[in-house]
This record gives sequence, C-alpha cells and structure tokens, in this order.
Amino acid sequence: MRKELLALIALVLLASFALYPRPQNSFKVSTTTSLYDTGLLDVLAKAFEEKYGAKPEFLVVGSGQALRLAKDGAVCLTLVHAPSLEKQYSEYLTDHIIFAYNYFVIVGPKEDPAGVKDARNATEAFRKIYEAGEAGKALFVSRGDMSGTHVKELSLWKLAGLDPKGRPWYKETGSGMAKTLIIANNMKAYTLSDVSTFLKLKRDGKLPNLEILYSGSEELINIYSGYRVKGCEDPNAKEFLRFLNSTEGQKIIASYGKEEFGRPLFYPAEGKLEWLREVWRELAR
Amino acid sequence: MIELVLRSLWISGTATLLATAWSLPLVFIIIKKNLRSLVTFFEGLVGVPTVLVGLLLYDLLCPRCPLGSLGLLYTPQAIVLGEAVLVTPLLVATLHTTLKRAYEEFGELVLTFGGSEWRALLVALKESWEEALGSVAMAFSRAVGELGVALIVGGNIAGYTRTMSTAIALYTQMGEFEKATQLGAILAALSVGVSFAVKVALKR
Repeated sequence: MRKELLALIALVLLASFALYPRPQNSFKVSTTTSLYDTGLLDVLAKAFEEKYGAKPEFLVVGSGQALRLAKDGAVCLTLVHAPSLEKQYSEYLTDHIIFAYNYFVIVGPKEDPAGVKDARNATEAFRKIYEAGEAGKALFVSRGDMSGTHVKELSLWKLAGLDPKGRPWYKETGSGMAKTLIIANNMKAYTLSDVSTFLKLKRDGKLPNLEILYSGSEELINIYSGYRVKGCEDPNAKEFLRFLNSTEGQKIIASYGKEEFGRPLFYPAEGKLEWLREVWRELAR
Repeated sequence: MIELVLRSLWISGTATLLATAWSLPLVFIIIKKNLRSLVTFFEGLVGVPTVLVGLLLYDLLCPRCPLGSLGLLYTPQAIVLGEAVLVTPLLVATLHTTLKRAYEEFGELVLTFGGSEWRALLVALKESWEEALGSVAMAFSRAVGELGVALIVGGNIAGYTRTMSTAIALYTQMGEFEKATQLGAILAALSVGVSFAVKVALKR
C-alpha cells in the first residue's frame, strides 16, 4: 500500500512536470527595482492587460542585470534608468523611449553632520560628505551593485573630482535600494536614493533616522527609459512600449502615488521629451 | 499565499524525485564498482553555491545558449532541473553511506546464497529504507530553501515562477522584513513537516 502510494505521488509529480501550463499571451520584461517595488508597474500592467489581453511578466533586477538579460535575449523589453550603461548595450536594443523621470535625493541623518542641507548643488553636497567622512564625522552607504542609482552615485563622485572607494567611511552594501536605505538608517549614514523607494519606506516608518537633505537640481535627474530587444518581434511587447507613452499610460504615471504619499513618485515624460532626450544624451556620454 | 506554498512544494518535490531517480542508480554503480573517489567528489560539492548552479544552468538555457531552443528559461521546469542538479551531491553522498553499510550487512549474505549483485543491492535498499528516505527528505529541504537557482532560471515571475524563497528575497528587497520573516517561518515549518511526514508514514 505504502509503495503504491509513493509510486502514485511520483507519477503525478512527473506528469505535472510535462503538463504544467504555460502562460498564454505574455512577454518578458526585465525592469529596475524602483519601478516594480513602488507598485507602479503592476498598475500599468493591469491597465494594459485589461485593454489588450496580454500580460507583461516582470523580471525585477538592477539595471545592470536587466540590460544583461536583454543582451542575452532572455527578455523582450527592458525598463532601466542608467543612461551611461544603456549606451554600452545599445547594439542589442532598439525602439528607445523615455516614459518617466524623477529626481534622486541625497538622504542622511537629521543632524546632518556634513552640512549637506546648505550645499548649492549636488556635487558640493558630495564634497561635503567626503570631507566629513575623512574627518570621521559621517558615513556614506553605497549600493555598490551597478544599479542605475549606483551608476548615478559614481558619476556624482566623478563630477566632484573625488574617489571614495576604499575609504573607511564609505560602505558598499551590494544590495537593493530598500535594504541599502535600511542599512543607512541603522548606521545613521548618508546615501543616494531614488525618491520613490525612500518615500515608501519613510511612510512605513522604516527610516526614522533619515531625512531628505538635498534634492531637485537637474544633476540629480533620474530618467526612466524603455527598450525593445533587437530580434524580439512580439506585437504585444511593442504595444506595451507604445502604451507606456500613450495618454492613458502617462496619466497613470502622473497620478501614481499622489493619494498615498501626498506627492507623485514619478513625472510623466509627456510634453518634456525634447528636454529629457537632451539630458539623457548628456548623461549617456 | 497558498498558491505560493503549493508551487514551492511541487517544484521542490519534483526536483527531489528527479534527483533521486538518477542518484539511486548512480549510488548502486558506485558501490558495485567501488568508486570511492567519486563519492569524495560529491561530498565536496554538497555545499556548492546555489547561485553558481543557477548561473551555469542559465548559460545552457538562455535563448542564445546551446539549449536555448527548448524555451525552458523562466519556467518552473527550469527550476525543477536546477534544484535536481543542486541536491544530487547531497543525495549521492548520504545515500552511499546508508546503502554501503546495508550492503555490507545484508547484501553480502545474499551473494553467499547465490543471489546476483543487483539483487543484493535491492535487498540492501529494502533494509535501509527508512534512512534512505531521510536522505530524500534532506534533499527536499535543501531544494525548497534554495534561492539562487529559482531566482536566476526561474526569474521570480509573479504567479508563475515565484517560489517561497524568491518571495522572501523580494519582500526583503522591498524592505518588508515582517512579511519576509513570516514567509521564512512557514518555509522552515514546511520543511520540518515534510521530514516528519516521511518518518510517520514509514512507522505505520
């Protein structure tokens, strides 16, 4: 009896291995964590699915990995925010769109030992953090994972003419934005964050020690791009890219987060495309 | 939630079964031919990083890779294959210890009575049935708890290839440590539960 039961279980498992249903009418999209973790992509996907009956499946990774998956042809679309990295992968990508933007924020302890609040621009803020770090008064936590935010952070250090790598006050976590923010909160350290992840965690009470200390200047702009991978001709995937920049898609992006956070998490690209393309080209250099 | 648990059970259960299906004959051959160094080799691989197994499998299954045309990348089947490979060293190493002892105790008796070597191995398996299933339960525990394979060749796609361990990783990444901890506790309880279920089923 026992043997028959075991054999039956084995048979059912093996049969289901062969027969497990595949999702129909779906396409793969690799995406940066900030778009997904804030919940924006799920809302966009739901609206798209209702209208077109096709479903995007998201692979949620950092921008570096998202682009690598695109290069390998493992996904059909990729949504990223790292212009200089995107350029390195341009031979594998096509149909570039810019669909949203917002601003990175420099966050840190309320006491602000480096005086970032009084900085005139972002590079000066970074210089102040560097000096306070060298003086043993401040810590900085870096993503260190080749994500869009990390790439941005590195470019800001470069603009400031400084190299913090290997300094004792400069900690690379090698993890996602939320984890990095929580580490920064626990260490009372400075870090660079996308505004959406910070606001979400702040609202949930996870970051009692951290405040936005500097934001809003054009150097801190964060541009979200979408691409189709060369060789993928899935009509639904093409339609999804168009949908992101359609009036309906842009409306969802513009209003997402207003109710929950009192301010939008992302700005739609509509009406500002020329300016954004110019800034993007600047950042990609 | 229930769906997540069932999918994890199914994926890791099938993987364990698959791994058992090829590990058992392998152990038989190892005992028969006395291939000691092969056992040492597998013992050394018991703790192989799950991410490494995931990446190696990815390099086989990605669309522009040798087995890309199978279309297995980002399917539950890909996770099943990867986890089966992952737990094989553990299964081979522990099954070998168990079966070898039983073979020396009972199998050689069968041989002296004129039974074939295969017959002797089967008797050894029958006599050490309970310990052998313990090995299988251990393999299941390793499979259901692993993260690297499921993330890399499964892709953590909601409602399709998301497992308990990848959901835990996602919640952690999102800063939802409480949800991640809850799921983790359920996963651990499930793993222990399966281990006990195997033992209880045998006692009856």
